[in-house]
Amino acid sequence: MTDMLIKVEQIVTRFGKNTVHDGVSMEVARGEVVAVIGGSGTGKSVLLKEIIGLLRPESGRIHLFGVDMLTADEADLEQVRQRFGMLFQDGALFSSLNVEQNVATPLLEHTHLPKAVCLQLARLKLAMVGLPPSAANQMPSELSGGMRKRAALARALALDPELLCLDEPTSGLDPISARAFDHLIRTLADNLGLTILLITHDLNTLLSIIDRAVVLSGSKVLGSGTVAEIRQINDPWLHEYFSSCTTLETAHGN
Amino acid sequence: MSAPAIRPESIDNKLYLHATGDWRLSQLDTQQPQLPAAPRAETNYLDGAEITSLDTSGALMLLKLLYDRDIPPDSVVLNNFSNAHQTIFELVRQNFSASQQRQPAARHRTLARIGRNAGSVGEHLIGMINFIGILTLEVGNLLRHPLRFRIKELANQVETIFVYALPLAFAMMFLLGLVFAYLLGIQAEQYGANIFVVDGSALAICRELAPVIVAILVAGRSGAAITAQIGTMKVYEEIDAIKVLGLSPYAVLVLPRILALLIALPLLVFVGDIAGLFGSMVIADQQLSVTPITFINRLQQVLETKTVVIGLIKAPVFAVFIGTIACYMGFTVARDARSIGINTTSTVVQSIVAVILINAIFAIILVKLGI
Repeated sequence: MTDMLIKVEQIVTRFGKNTVHDGVSMEVARGEVVAVIGGSGTGKSVLLKEIIGLLRPESGRIHLFGVDMLTADEADLEQVRQRFGMLFQDGALFSSLNVEQNVATPLLEHTHLPKAVCLQLARLKLAMVGLPPSAANQMPSELSGGMRKRAALARALALDPELLCLDEPTSGLDPISARAFDHLIRTLADNLGLTILLITHDLNTLLSIIDRAVVLSGSKVLGSGTVAEIRQINDPWLHEYFSSCTTLETAHGN
Repeated sequence: MSAPAIRPESIDNKLYLHATGDWRLSQLDTQQPQLPAAPRAETNYLDGAEITSLDTSGALMLLKLLYDRDIPPDSVVLNNFSNAHQTIFELVRQNFSASQQRQPAARHRTLARIGRNAGSVGEHLIGMINFIGILTLEVGNLLRHPLRFRIKELANQVETIFVYALPLAFAMMFLLGLVFAYLLGIQAEQYGANIFVVDGSALAICRELAPVIVAILVAGRSGAAITAQIGTMKVYEEIDAIKVLGLSPYAVLVLPRILALLIALPLLVFVGDIAGLFGSMVIADQQLSVTPITFINRLQQVLETKTVVIGLIKAPVFAVFIGTIACYMGFTVARDARSIGINTTSTVVQSIVAVILINAIFAIILVKLGI
């Protein structure tokens, strides 16, 4: 039996009268790189926040590393939180700390390692995500968008998590930085054996680094599978989405 | 789960290092393995056959143990590593040197720090003068095209700065008037001069207490709000959006706020006057047996119009300073969350200092003029 890191069953979410999810189910196995796609307002970010325990769905069940996130006590949640890393859309670096301290924060909070070792680990993570050593002492406000994302990724990797959750990792980056970032994510996933769940709008990301995609539409899961499988699904939004992809491929062909 | 360990073995001038166990962050947290002493060797081998699991933290620890023994990480030959472990180990090895070099943080010596602070104070003053210049030009512009003035924004601001502050201003000045008259009454009673409490309270409240206290209240309440709001707008590029629309952020944001303060502060001071006198009247009746009728009669005799007017004249001056400082600090917010906090604090501090300083200048001028 494959080891399921994430198991979401029949999630129902409502905000007031607005139903965001109406029976959403999905699974992510260890070692997979899975993307959640869907139009704006289909509840992708909400789903991600529910999986990592920032929001509570109205009903349904969520298992993360086999722990029931909706009934687990604080001690179990604390354990789970150290096993995944989260990259927020705009990085969410702490603006009062410099880059090195930002990355060292999870280590300083959750381990008993001496501060010097924590900082060495932080600098290792920064080098791994391709930031120059000079970035370590800079404040987040002094960094460019791409560097900020890389620093945030380093923080998400600080505790050597098994699972990495990424909320639109390439949004706000130029195409070159976005491709470099995609490449970086895939390299880290392959080298470190990470499982990755990401939300994206970026077709290039989808086509280049994804094992499997889950499509959300009309508050349900429309389908899930490889990109080729998903393209077979008959849905107006998906058609429109992939039609821009055809143009992209033609452009590449030229 | 087994504890991580490393064991050296010397054979024919070759050093074999056998690593065993879980080299993971969670394991290394509780106990850090030591490398037992071993003779130096030409070639060093790291044997990973018995490593049960490895993550980047574990790999870094391994490399660090070697590095601390003067075994250069690049020269170590890996033996019997599983593929997954080898990729992780190589990835960490590539980046090892970066993790060891600490970028020295810029040192701030006292003298340099004083110099830098003085520089930033100077910059701040120049910026402020520049800001006042821009505002003056904007006012000139607006006088030529009065229709461009944001009357609705002004009304909104007057509502938040004046109407919502009314209960607080009233309550604060009422209590202050109460306490002031009570303490004054204790002294006056000893000389049987109960009625003179009216003189003292009226002068102090109308001339000094109400304007200063209300100005400090507004600086803390509205000044901070203005800085935080304009600062947040700057962080989200709303100010740039206003500029791109061909509007002036000064005319749209700053002038309505300063004008609203100009209108609201004297009104609040007047309310404060009444609240303070009312408080004094209550305590005079309770404590000093000066009936409200007597109190008001006495007030009519001793409270000169000039006293009230002096208090009210200070208010718009305070308002201009609070408004200018608050708006300027809002515009100088850098693009992060921390900077909003710093600038908001700075607004309140600067405004309160400005209010107290201006009040002192007023006192000196008025005394010199004999008013």
